[in-house]
Amino acid sequence: MRLAGAELLESREILPGQWLQTFHAPELVTGARAGQFVHVRTGDFSGMVLRRPFSYNTIDPATGTLSIHFRTVGRGTEWFTRLRPGDRVDMLGPLGRPFEMDSRTQHVLLVAGGLGIAGVRSLADEAIRDGRQVTLLFGGASAREVYPSSLLPDEVEYVVATDDGSVGHHGFVTELIPEYEGWADQAFACGPLPMLKVLASLAHSRRGRLGVANLGRKRGGGRPIPAGSPQARRKAFLQVSMEQNMGCAVGACLGCVVMNTAGTPQRVCREGPVFASDELDWEGGW
Amino acid sequence: MKAKRRVVTSANGERPGLAKRRPTVRRIKPAIAPVSRHVPDAAAPSRAPASSGSRPSLGHACAAPTTSASNSTVDLSVDLGRGLRLENPILVASGTFGYGTEYSDVVEIQRLGAICCKGTTLRPRIGNPTPRVTETPGGMLNSIGLQNPGVDAVIAKYAETWAGWRVPVIVNVAGESVADYVEVVRRLEGVPGIAGIELNISCPNVGAGGIQFAIDAGAAAGVTAAVRRATDLPLLVKLSPNVADVRPIARAIADAGADALTAINTLSGIAVAPSRQRPLLGNTYGGLSGPAIKPVALRIVYEVSQVVDIPVVAIGGVTELADVLDFLAVGAVAVQVGTAIFADPTLPVRLVEELGAECRRRGFASYAPLIGTALPKRASAPSSKGVEYRP
Repeated sequence: MRLAGAELLESREILPGQWLQTFHAPELVTGARAGQFVHVRTGDFSGMVLRRPFSYNTIDPATGTLSIHFRTVGRGTEWFTRLRPGDRVDMLGPLGRPFEMDSRTQHVLLVAGGLGIAGVRSLADEAIRDGRQVTLLFGGASAREVYPSSLLPDEVEYVVATDDGSVGHHGFVTELIPEYEGWADQAFACGPLPMLKVLASLAHSRRGRLGVANLGRKRGGGRPIPAGSPQARRKAFLQVSMEQNMGCAVGACLGCVVMNTAGTPQRVCREGPVFASDELDWEGGW
Repeated sequence: MKAKRRVVTSANGERPGLAKRRPTVRRIKPAIAPVSRHVPDAAAPSRAPASSGSRPSLGHACAAPTTSASNSTVDLSVDLGRGLRLENPILVASGTFGYGTEYSDVVEIQRLGAICCKGTTLRPRIGNPTPRVTETPGGMLNSIGLQNPGVDAVIAKYAETWAGWRVPVIVNVAGESVADYVEVVRRLEGVPGIAGIELNISCPNVGAGGIQFAIDAGAAAGVTAAVRRATDLPLLVKLSPNVADVRPIARAIADAGADALTAINTLSGIAVAPSRQRPLLGNTYGGLSGPAIKPVALRIVYEVSQVVDIPVVAIGGVTELADVLDFLAVGAVAVQVGTAIFADPTLPVRLVEELGAECRRRGFASYAPLIGTALPKRASAPSSKGVEYRP
């Protein structure tokens, strides 16, 4: 975790109300991994008192740049849209725990609902860099909100579903899963809670439906791996990136919790934002 | 309607003029270690010209213009009672700094005056439903619901680490009955690494129909006295602003044996969900903190420091040195930084430096001369009665 200045290089509205901003911040790029996030300060204390968390949308160690992708939903995100190239902001990062990919995974399924693309976008880069095949299933409300394919690496197979059918599959992105779950070795998702709930239940029943075993043989002499550990997540079929209102983003304020199956609150900022889907209590009232 | 004549009495029948018995200056100064309050005039005659050169103007009323503290030594230490001596008066507030370890990557925590850890209860608590936090104009609402692993787990996990730290750790304690508080404190007693107790009394007293301890002088005094009997640890009690007149409560707590008071806890508030179909927070109610509550905190510190003899630790919307100076001016001897840490984690340590620099700039050998400067010579009227109708 480092606290550093970041200089805005480029800011553009890639979709109505959705912005992509690139920052030069070498200290925050070093060691950052897909699934982690930065906590960015909004001006001084004259109005807003909290930072805003953003997933690393892209991470480029060669140039020391990172990008964030967000929708304008309130005063904080509107403040960001008024930044101009050359402006500096104060960032805290890299925060949270990243996606963990099994070294034997060849077929990577990414599932993004709307702005959830920002949570899994950099994982596509990572997977392709490591020579894996990537399919991205994207669900949006309409054609107007579909993430531009030009912003994705060429190697990604990009499949779109829209609620109104204006482009791609007519319906929810989760309806596309049966076509791909047999192909995929691992899946990674980010998006609205209802979408993640459906994906979690599909992942839970997947072994029974497809008759597939967990990857490989048991390591460590069959000793159980503690739930929530990176090793356990690496073995999970589905990992999800969770969202929650955040205060400190370092685990101090306990504002951003989700419940695990043991009934213990898990901090999205510290134990997450990435969780194995079977760690979480999806019926919990959080 | 004609404004009522102002009456300087409190709800529980205190005699008017009680505050007169407690002159301001005399009672606040003992909180500061007496050593080096003033550098003797003759001690540094040769240094005076040099340091005055770096001070552009010393025009304001500076009682001892020759108190030219050498540039390196300003005594920022403060004694909060019962041997709880802090190296400086900048604390981090409970609930905003976890257990001190969370921010250690980016904050030099050993330079803080003290760390107040997350509220700790007898048994583990999973806290309130989410959303638990939301930003509001100039502040934030939180309803964490005292999520914590329970006192035994806190001791097992952190006490040894704390014992190795230079910075004292004050454990914030919460409970739902007097017996809860006493038992938590009893378990903390004698554990190395625990420098003091801060009682969070803004909790419902389940044993007494769920009324908060903090809003009733009798209940607040009762829990304070019970805890006092159970421990020799330095004891701070955190006042709630959600009362009509905080003074009788503050006095009752002080009389019950608290070593210091912390003022203030959060203000009760709500936010509405964007759908307008329900309140935003999972718990409906949240506690408001941040710069938005600073005037309320100032008012309560101003009132409380006039009626108690024990040190008052101020908290509420500190975001810069000016806020620290404001709180000192209304009688606080130390200040906690809370919500501002989320945006600016290095702020508390910077405030320590800036407070020292401010004392040097003004030629003070300690920050004692900054305390209580805005307090009235005579006790002021209760704020809750006729604030807008001052004759």
